[in-house]
Amino acid sequence: MIAGLLEADEGSVAVVGEAITTGSTRGRAAIGLVPQDLAIYPDLNGEENLVFFGRLYGMGGDPLMGRVGEVLEVVGLADRKDDLVKEYSGGMKRRLNIGIGLLHRPRLLILDEPTVGVDPQSRNAILEAVESLSREGMAVLYTTHYMEEAERLCDRVAIIDEGVIQAEGTRRELVSLVGEKDRVAIEATGNLDAVADTLRAIEGVTDASATDHRIDVLVTDASSILPRLLTSVSEAGGSISGVEVQEPNLEAVFLHLTGKALRD
Amino acid sequence: MGSASRIAGKDLKLRMRDRSVFILGILAPLVLAYIFYLVFGPAATGQGLSLAYGAVDEDGSDISSAFLSVLENAESEGVLELQTFTGPTEAAAALDAGDIDAYFLLPAGLQQAVFTNQETTIDVVGDVDQPTSTQIAASFAEQFSSGVGASQAAVAATASIAGVPVTPQFISSLSADPAAAGMSFTLVDQTADTKQLDAPTYFAAGMAVFFLFFTVQFGVNGLLEEEREGTLARLMAAPITRSAVIAGKGILAFLLGVISMTVLIVATTLLMEANWGAPLGVALLVMAGVLSAVGIMGLVASVAKTPEGAGNLGSIIAVILGMLGGTFFPIASSGGILTSLTYLTPHAWFMRGLASLSSGAPWTAALPSVGAILIFALVTGTIAFISLRRRLTR
Repeated sequence: MIAGLLEADEGSVAVVGEAITTGSTRGRAAIGLVPQDLAIYPDLNGEENLVFFGRLYGMGGDPLMGRVGEVLEVVGLADRKDDLVKEYSGGMKRRLNIGIGLLHRPRLLILDEPTVGVDPQSRNAILEAVESLSREGMAVLYTTHYMEEAERLCDRVAIIDEGVIQAEGTRRELVSLVGEKDRVAIEATGNLDAVADTLRAIEGVTDASATDHRIDVLVTDASSILPRLLTSVSEAGGSISGVEVQEPNLEAVFLHLTGKALRD
Repeated sequence: MGSASRIAGKDLKLRMRDRSVFILGILAPLVLAYIFYLVFGPAATGQGLSLAYGAVDEDGSDISSAFLSVLENAESEGVLELQTFTGPTEAAAALDAGDIDAYFLLPAGLQQAVFTNQETTIDVVGDVDQPTSTQIAASFAEQFSSGVGASQAAVAATASIAGVPVTPQFISSLSADPAAAGMSFTLVDQTADTKQLDAPTYFAAGMAVFFLFFTVQFGVNGLLEEEREGTLARLMAAPITRSAVIAGKGILAFLLGVISMTVLIVATTLLMEANWGAPLGVALLVMAGVLSAVGIMGLVASVAKTPEGAGNLGSIIAVILGMLGGTFFPIASSGGILTSLTYLTPHAWFMRGLASLSSGAPWTAALPSVGAILIFALVTGTIAFISLRRRLTR
């Protein structure tokens, strides 16, 4: 619907002030779509694929060829641009698939699970490219089943289950929405039970429990309270050898919201 | 239109890299046309057929002479070659030697049997290797027998009214020339429905228009292939209209059809000496024919779910229309309901138009056929376009 492929059941979509519908064309020029399935022509070479789609977006002549060269560099296919796409590896096809979406410098880039079935090197290259585009000011709508990707790339996350948005916000907002706490694991020696009692009294600490050489502390916001926690451990006679902060991840949030494992 | 042209250009490049379009669009029709021409050529179309007959007149009567005179008239018109023999032995020898295709044996007592309402026969003895010529000879004899039958009835009726017996003298008093009593053959100028192309042109045109429907499928079915391959979503996400996507496929189908037909026309003219007729008329026929093929195959694509489904359904329809349209056999000449049914196919209109042009008519002679074919194109193309557009918008 956002890309104008389907009519909206309700509501409306606008990109750079232009309504997006199946019948409109102006707004779609501001969108770059990278479908989940490869949307490239195997019997054209990499450059021909880019040139064809570039022309559909109104590009032409030297500007088009210049931009094609830039995109080939970005996706790491400059040295394979003359090879037919059917001779590319899966990762190379994925990168070309993304390159086509970038070609016309869209204001909004829609990436639909771009790393599915991709080798680790290509996956990392794709994620780095997305981060780079985001830093340059391009809005990126990234759909994924990999929560670590969403956590790494996204400023805001919407969790969708069975076609319905269950929750939407920053990662922290989502976490706080469901009451998940940060976990601070402190490796230490000393009277850890007493140290745990001291920590429980600190505002923002929900719970603290001691085991052999470790204290697990549940806090509402680890980043703000961590200095005080460490100071309190020392003041209570504990000797700190290591600290690990574990923020609740989105997968935990998803499971909390839906009560189901990831699917589809 | 720019976007549609770009899509068509991209698809054309892809198809040029896919050799199957050459095989199905050019090689197959060319080879098949040539093979059909070699195997069936003159016999299937009736053109260029050499009819060599013999006749043995054992009766020597007015009726047998009338029959021979009809054959001699046909010979003078260039329809056949006739040899007369004194007896069946001599005729059989000529038949065995291959000098004649068949001979007529007019038995002694033929006229007497006719006048007295007795049963009699004219034997046609043919070469087993010349079935078409023999069949035609049998037709000559049958037509003559029909004329004799009609005369017998007329003579009997007249004699009954006059109250006299039927005798040779009475017959002679009615007509000195039995042939004038209806026992004659006439050469009929064929109408457009039954007019035949010469063999090379017939098979060249038949195969070209038959395979045309397969060729345009390469273009039309591209839409379904894009849908399956996932590239359709990217096309529709681009700032172009749905109509441009459909038009792009239509343009490619039209281009492939025109290229295929043009190559076949040139090749069959050079290789098989096909006579296609006035170039402008042929060009109009080809363009109309290609448009109708695009419309019909577009309609098939609009109801199919997959490219394979469209291919199968399209093949069935192409074969049915091709057979009915007379691209393999001149069905229109058979008469009856089959002739009427051929009007339901653009193939038949194409062949009709071409038959007119090939006989030396000016390009305007093709216009009725062009108009009929364009009606097919308009109706099927409009329905296909609306249906495909609705499909892309869902």
